Amino acid sequence: MSKGILLIRKEAIKIVAEKISDNPIIAANGYLSRDLYEVCDKPSNFYMIGSMGLASSIGLGLALKNRKKTFYIFDGDGNLLMNLGSLITIGVHKPKNLIHIVFDNSSHESTGGQPTESKNIQLDSVARSAKIKTFKVGTKSDLIKKLEKTKKLTGPILILVKISKSKKTSKRVNIEPTKIKLRFMESLRN
Amino acid sequence: MKPNIQKRIFDYLIKNKIQNFLGVPDSTLKYFIEQGLKKNKILITTREEEAIGIAVGMALSQSPSLVFMQNAGFANSISTITSLVQLYEIPLIFLIGWRGYLKNDAPEHVKIGKVQPKLIEILDLDYKIITEKNWKVSCNWALKKIQNQKPCALIVKRDFVD
Repeated sequence: MSKGILLIRKEAIKIVAEKISDNPIIAANGYLSRDLYEVCDKPSNFYMIGSMGLASSIGLGLALKNRKKTFYIFDGDGNLLMNLGSLITIGVHKPKNLIHIVFDNSSHESTGGQPTESKNIQLDSVARSAKIKTFKVGTKSDLIKKLEKTKKLTGPILILVKISKSKKTSKRVNIEPTKIKLRFMESLRN
Repeated sequence: MKPNIQKRIFDYLIKNKIQNFLGVPDSTLKYFIEQGLKKNKILITTREEEAIGIAVGMALSQSPSLVFMQNAGFANSISTITSLVQLYEIPLIFLIGWRGYLKNDAPEHVKIGKVQPKLIEILDLDYKIITEKNWKVSCNWALKKIQNQKPCALIVKRDFVD
């Protein structure tokens, strides 16, 4: 990981969302979904507004059933820590079309910034133990470079994006959950 | 429930287009799971919520799915059922082994076994108790439910103590 100024979550989300264009994204609950909704809303975004921890599992189910599309999971450190077993299941089933991006600020930001333990145990090393290809990035240029690189590799891949905490918050996702589902399903048919 | 009935239930569901069987093993459902493993159709997860998450991804891909678990795992899954499956109206079949149905079951199963019917009713999740006599009718009911885009549960009583 090269040293430099860390991005804040919303900046990092914008960079990735723009870089991957129309590919489907499964976004974890809390500020992750809210930021994505604000910076780049599109039908192929599945905003998981509840069920904390399960974005990676939903992404795995989708990747296993739609081999021709590449799925991006937008996860947080708090979310991943609630469902670490998911890395094992992904590592075993090895979907080539799954890219797991973990925006890691070592905190539960949407509940008031309480700390998580991702500062003490590196989540990319956990993923590596689960036989997932991993990258760790900390700067904008590094993030863009690694996103480019992953396009030439087969998954599953996990990119750990170290970000800094921020007071900036986004509005709530203002779409009915059933509508989120229907437009997402429709986007898969295209 | 007898081994051969459990196997027939698995075969019947797969014949009727259930494509994915995921969950955490339960001894009450042992022969159902065994039949699925034999046919290489079972995905075992680390927790019940994880199984539901993967099954939701599959259901969003219009691939009909069943999640199996013990009732203790059903209790683990409550928040996932309310804030994902029910909130987004995802069609899934839950197959739940009911420990603690008999009052002399192992102590860890007694309390959760006692509240199982109330728990599922309060969640407004439609269910049927599936038996050796009604299994085909119950399966047809569940298949119809998911065709109509509704989640539902089939519960198997643990009617023996080991």
